[in-house]
Amino acid sequence: MHKAEIIQKVAGLWPEIVMLIGATACLFIGLSKGKGPRRSTPWIAAATLVLAALLVCGKSSVSDGAGALAGLAGYVKLAVAGIGLILLMVAAGVPDQLRQTRDAEAAKDFDPGDLLTGEFYAFFLLSLTGVMLTAGAGDLVWLFLALELTSLPTYVMVATSRDRVQAQESAVKYFFLGALSAAIFLYGFTLIYGATGSTEFAEITRIAQEQIAAHDGHVPGLLLIGIALSIVGICFKIAAVPMHFYAADVYEGAATPVTAFLAFVPKTAGAVALILILSLVGWPLPGAIESLLWIIAALTMTVGNVLGLLQTSVKRVLAYSSIAHSGYIVVGLLAGPAVNQAAGGALGDGLAAVLFYLVAYGLGTIASFAVLGCLRVNGDEAQTFDDISGLHKRHPFLAALMLVSVLSLVGLPPLVGFLGKVYLIGSAYGAGFTYLVIILVLNSAISAAYYLRIASACYFGEPNDAVESTGQFPRYAGALVAAALALILGVVGNGLVNASRNATTPVQAADTNQPVQQTAATSID
Amino acid sequence: MPLNAIDSLALSHFLLTGAVLFCLGLIGFISRRNLIIMFLCTEMMFQGVAVSLVAFSRFHLNDTGQTFVIFVLTIAAAEAALALGLVVLLFRRKKTLDALAWSDLKG
Repeated sequence: MHKAEIIQKVAGLWPEIVMLIGATACLFIGLSKGKGPRRSTPWIAAATLVLAALLVCGKSSVSDGAGALAGLAGYVKLAVAGIGLILLMVAAGVPDQLRQTRDAEAAKDFDPGDLLTGEFYAFFLLSLTGVMLTAGAGDLVWLFLALELTSLPTYVMVATSRDRVQAQESAVKYFFLGALSAAIFLYGFTLIYGATGSTEFAEITRIAQEQIAAHDGHVPGLLLIGIALSIVGICFKIAAVPMHFYAADVYEGAATPVTAFLAFVPKTAGAVALILILSLVGWPLPGAIESLLWIIAALTMTVGNVLGLLQTSVKRVLAYSSIAHSGYIVVGLLAGPAVNQAAGGALGDGLAAVLFYLVAYGLGTIASFAVLGCLRVNGDEAQTFDDISGLHKRHPFLAALMLVSVLSLVGLPPLVGFLGKVYLIGSAYGAGFTYLVIILVLNSAISAAYYLRIASACYFGEPNDAVESTGQFPRYAGALVAAALALILGVVGNGLVNASRNATTPVQAADTNQPVQQTAATSID
Repeated sequence: MPLNAIDSLALSHFLLTGAVLFCLGLIGFISRRNLIIMFLCTEMMFQGVAVSLVAFSRFHLNDTGQTFVIFVLTIAAAEAALALGLVVLLFRRKKTLDALAWSDLKG
């Protein structure tokens, strides 16, 4: 890489640099003795996120030299900064709720869990930085480091989020499976490097095309195994089937606001990383990869939704719903960028659908977890269906937000989840995955059963007197903003649809250079 | 000293070593119950990957693979720091490192 290229690359990284500075500031200020400076850490984090979002907006018109996927990076960075702000509102009270922090001033015996205030926000920002870097990745080394930067802080966040043994249990499960998955996708990356002799995406794509051409359209075995291993490893990040079983336990054990974070941030990083990895071989995908993703998608949707039906804890239901949504996202990945322009407009582009769906799913799921986080039962978090029973009579506002968010997750119009599903189904159908579309629709019907169970518990259950609200204004605001955005973007979602479409347009431009797809497009014309 | 690329036979030996390390780590991770041993098994998987990377680097005669290894080792060190911190926290709670002691969450 030449000097000018490096300067250009770093110039595109200002949002991440700002995030890193903000995280460091939180880390140091969080260590200060007085309570005042430590209280300022959430505000520093908020200011950092706003500044990063502004920088992304300012830079979005300028190509940062990331090549074909420059649009993707801008879209994901902005989405992450925006939704990160909502997540920050939701998570703002987490460190203060802990017993350890409450009497930390007078702490007599040292416990590692005691020293948490500002660090929480530092880890929060670092993890978001990881997602942003993932979106801008142009190299396997970079992608690996960015994915690890996304995950490592979340382990700490889970372990220290709650003054319960369960939080630590979920942290240990999350950490060990995370390390295992990192080793697996790293092995995948190694084989990709071994097959092509380069770690730069552009170079890998070029060499892979040459090799495919030399082998009569067959992808060489080493490359194929490398990509398959990478997919399986990254499935941990999106909680898809071979690596999904941790999700329910981890989501249940972590504090609810941290669960909301886990349900969106690593998943976004994983989905973006999958887009980048799959674009190395390009769409239409090689047969083996296509079958692998097909099976992952079908199993993830079904397992998530069927197990979601059987749960008694709302948190676990939402955890399984997040697994199911990963399955929907993989359907979009399979469909790939618009090859078949005849499918028309925004409906044909699987990658744009994935990007749109990530935001749609994120808003719905964050709002529902935030509502749960606003409730407290006997000093502990609200978790079960009993806890939200009759919520409408006690807290009509929270019940309404919960209703909006679960309906958005079901995919009912006029909410944003509906647009997201239409978009995904349209692209998958356009790409010819009819059976998968049928499975997706059937699964949406199954999921409606447990989502509506949540809604009916809120509205028709007997009120539970033990339940009280935590009275944390920022968390209410976070829930409100997420639910309101789910409604607003559902009604006037054109902007987001176009943004997600523009984000993947350069990908298509690159792909139409491939002779196979060109002939496919012309034959349809 | 000019470096020569290794031939595919030599490469396959190194790759086999790497794959064996990786698989041993995987088997150990699944079968062992002590948290520290489990963590060491993931480290072994990382080292298997590192061996493969260096071998590929020599096979392709470029330094990218070896650079990658340095980053992999850094990440492995960061994970080790995190794992040991976590293990200490857990041990203070339950006075055991048996993974089966940590299975309250079910459903």
